[in-house]
Amino acid sequence: MESIELKEVSKSFKGTPILENINLKIEEGDILGIIGQSGSGKTTLLNLISGYLEPSEGDVVYYSKVEKQAMDLNNNLNRIKKYIGFNTQHTSFYPKLTVKENLMHFGQMYKLKKETLLTNANSLLEFTRLEKHQKKLADQLSGGMQRRLDLACSLIHKPKFLMLDEPTADLDFILQEEIGHLIQEVNKQGVTIVIASHHLDFLEKICNKIAIIHEGKLKSYGNIGNVQKPFFKEDIVINIKVKEDKEKIIKILKNLPIKKIVDQGHQLIIYPENPEKTMLALMQAVKKEDLYLYDVDLRKPSLSEVFTKVTKGFKVEE
Amino acid sequence: MKSLWLLTKKNLTLLIRTKSSALIVIFAPLLIILILGLSFNNSAKYGLNIGVCSDSFTADVESVVTSLQEEEFKIVKYEKSLEGCIEDIKLGFVHTCISLPESFKIEGNTQKEITFYVDPSKINLVWMVQNTLQEKLNIKAQEISEGLTSEILTKLSDTNTKVGVEKDRVEVVKTSNSNALSSIVSSQTGLLGLDLDGPTTEYDISIANTFKSNITASINDGLAKVNGAKEALDDANISSSDKSPISALLVQAKTDLDQAAALVDNGTGGINAIVALVASMEADLSTAKSKLVTASEEIDSTTTNLEKTKASLDTAVSSLNEIKTALEGIKTNLESQKVTEAGVISSPLITHIETVAPRSTHLNYLFSGLIVLVIMFSSLLLGTTLVMMEKHSPAFIRNYFLPVKKITFILSIYFTNLILGLIQVIIIMGISLIFLPNFYSSIPLMVLILFLATSVFTFLGMAVGYVFNSEDTSVLGSISLGSLLLFFSGLILPLESISPTIRQITYYNPFVIAEKLVREIFIFNTPINAVWLDLVFLAAYAIVLFLIIMIFESLIHKHLINNYMRHHHKLHRDNDKKKTGV
Repeated sequence: MESIELKEVSKSFKGTPILENINLKIEEGDILGIIGQSGSGKTTLLNLISGYLEPSEGDVVYYSKVEKQAMDLNNNLNRIKKYIGFNTQHTSFYPKLTVKENLMHFGQMYKLKKETLLTNANSLLEFTRLEKHQKKLADQLSGGMQRRLDLACSLIHKPKFLMLDEPTADLDFILQEEIGHLIQEVNKQGVTIVIASHHLDFLEKICNKIAIIHEGKLKSYGNIGNVQKPFFKEDIVINIKVKEDKEKIIKILKNLPIKKIVDQGHQLIIYPENPEKTMLALMQAVKKEDLYLYDVDLRKPSLSEVFTKVTKGFKVEE
Repeated sequence: MKSLWLLTKKNLTLLIRTKSSALIVIFAPLLIILILGLSFNNSAKYGLNIGVCSDSFTADVESVVTSLQEEEFKIVKYEKSLEGCIEDIKLGFVHTCISLPESFKIEGNTQKEITFYVDPSKINLVWMVQNTLQEKLNIKAQEISEGLTSEILTKLSDTNTKVGVEKDRVEVVKTSNSNALSSIVSSQTGLLGLDLDGPTTEYDISIANTFKSNITASINDGLAKVNGAKEALDDANISSSDKSPISALLVQAKTDLDQAAALVDNGTGGINAIVALVASMEADLSTAKSKLVTASEEIDSTTTNLEKTKASLDTAVSSLNEIKTALEGIKTNLESQKVTEAGVISSPLITHIETVAPRSTHLNYLFSGLIVLVIMFSSLLLGTTLVMMEKHSPAFIRNYFLPVKKITFILSIYFTNLILGLIQVIIIMGISLIFLPNFYSSIPLMVLILFLATSVFTFLGMAVGYVFNSEDTSVLGSISLGSLLLFFSGLILPLESISPTIRQITYYNPFVIAEKLVREIFIFNTPINAVWLDLVFLAAYAIVLFLIIMIFESLIHKHLINNYMRHHHKLHRDNDKKKTGV
């Protein structure tokens, strides 16, 4: 199985520690989201995973299925580069080359055979929906198309791992959705993906694993459910979608053991002290008062909420 | 107005905060002025290597050598080897060759020739060399000129003395001649004073004739009658009475004779007239006698004068002979002065300037500098620009993840530049062929040199590109570097006018090496075996610069990442702490 493992990795720049004692393993098929505040070290972590930076301490080990061995990533970078694709926060291609010329250029740099390269390029043009624009200069493309071209450039050599640094930065919601969809499609094709991003909702939708970095330390790492799980106990949220009788419902809720009610118009978010008891009491009161609710559900804490708690020093119970 | 000031202030702040810009804007001019000041702040004529050629290094030649050495020129001697010296000019070992005669002694109306051999392509140096050496040779020429003039003056002095002596003789001649002249004048006056006019009286000769005829007739008649009587008396035998007729006849004869005497007394046609005539003639003769006496006396006087004149003239001839002898001596003396032409005396040495290459157009001479100049600036700027393009390209990060070695990227920039440089060279050479048709033979070697020069300047430009962060400052840095190389190339000011320490450094200026190589190949058709060392030097430059770029690229890359990451994280963490209050 292809994987990259970080063992006791630390990184500092001129004596300033950026990352400390990071241990994590990215396994084949994962979509790992790295989240953290600005300057927390997530880009550094991504750069360490990709080999762009060398760790000050510890090892980054690449397990290759093809080469059937574990290799120190930095010592074997030139051998491993072909297995890695990298997308930076900003698009990274030649603006004055056409879409296809960019793909062909980067493909040729990976020494792909001409037929393979053409096949890859055409399939990526189709995949990224840039076929019609393949003869346009890259700088003539729209922002979304440029992102897609950037992704295509990273995939031209069919890497095993794809590192994405802030792939949705500066993109509107629709383009974020589009990129998210593409990433999932890429992942389905067998590419392991590591994403560093601020857009936690975006990561929550597409990632199966999350690593939370705070002040250079890996605060939490694992499947997204596992990352969220410690926070279920206290912070189950009840969403109530109401149209009428909102005031009556709020009045009922105020009599219940609830820490906080957030009024969002047609939606009330309740942070109960005891979700199960609160839910039962709410149902009984609604029935008794003959009130109408559109929808009631128990909401898991969002990644954003989990992240906020983690970065504010919440101690996760083991 | 306020906006203008604010914008200007902002620009200045940004400029100063960008370290490299501040460095370039503030320190580059300082550095350039400092270097140029240190280099050119002198008026000495340092560093000219002068080749002195002569068939023999006699005392005269050595004196020139010594005087040149006193001026800090480095002298290289070439005995009977002008060709060797000329070859060394072509190779740049000496700046000029001076071909000197063995001796500077002027022995006729022929000036001594000194020939300078110069490299015409070093136009600015040629004049400097010539002016400098001309100064020295002028001093030598002045010395010789002084010698010649002194010699002439000595002869003139001798002549003057001799002329003084001869002047007395001339006085003698003059006096003799004057005396002779006086005698002649005196004789002339005497002779002119002689009255040789004859009597002017008109004698009436008819009177004498008439007298003569009358006398003759009367006498003849008396005679006839006397004769008749004589005859009658002779014939008559008559007594005395009978003699009476005879006596009558005799009386008659007497009468006739009386008549003849009356005729003599008669004033007209008489004997008195004849007597008066004779008296008159006697007076005239007396006068004439007197004149002849005077003339005789004059002749005596003149004879005396002529004798004096002869004596004077003898003296004069003698003096003149002496003067002639003296003049012959003076002439011999003057003829012994072989240098007689004013031009030779005033300029005993003449200098010729010969070029070690065929005379040609200015373009020929400037071509080597121009082509290297174009190559230098275009390669420097292209090298810098291409590196900056690559560094600032959005694809820069992606390139890192390509399985391509750094060296390949660096070489790709180099080859790009090389191709562009090649295009430029082809254009320049193509156009040059129109103006410089004799260029064909040197093309292969020229291409090799330009290839190496392009490589060196490209790597230099690339190094600048790797050092600086912003495109503007790097281009400015490139131009500054190019300007420095140009200033210290000898193309604007001769390197020989730079102070010795810095001049030693400028010989390692790649521009100088490349320009020298192109000049040698283009102008002198120097074979490759004569310039291989410079070619190797240029190639070594390229290799070293390439290695430096490799190190630069690696160090700067790491440095930039380290700096960026450190500041990036510190800044963000500080901001986050402020926001969260943690």
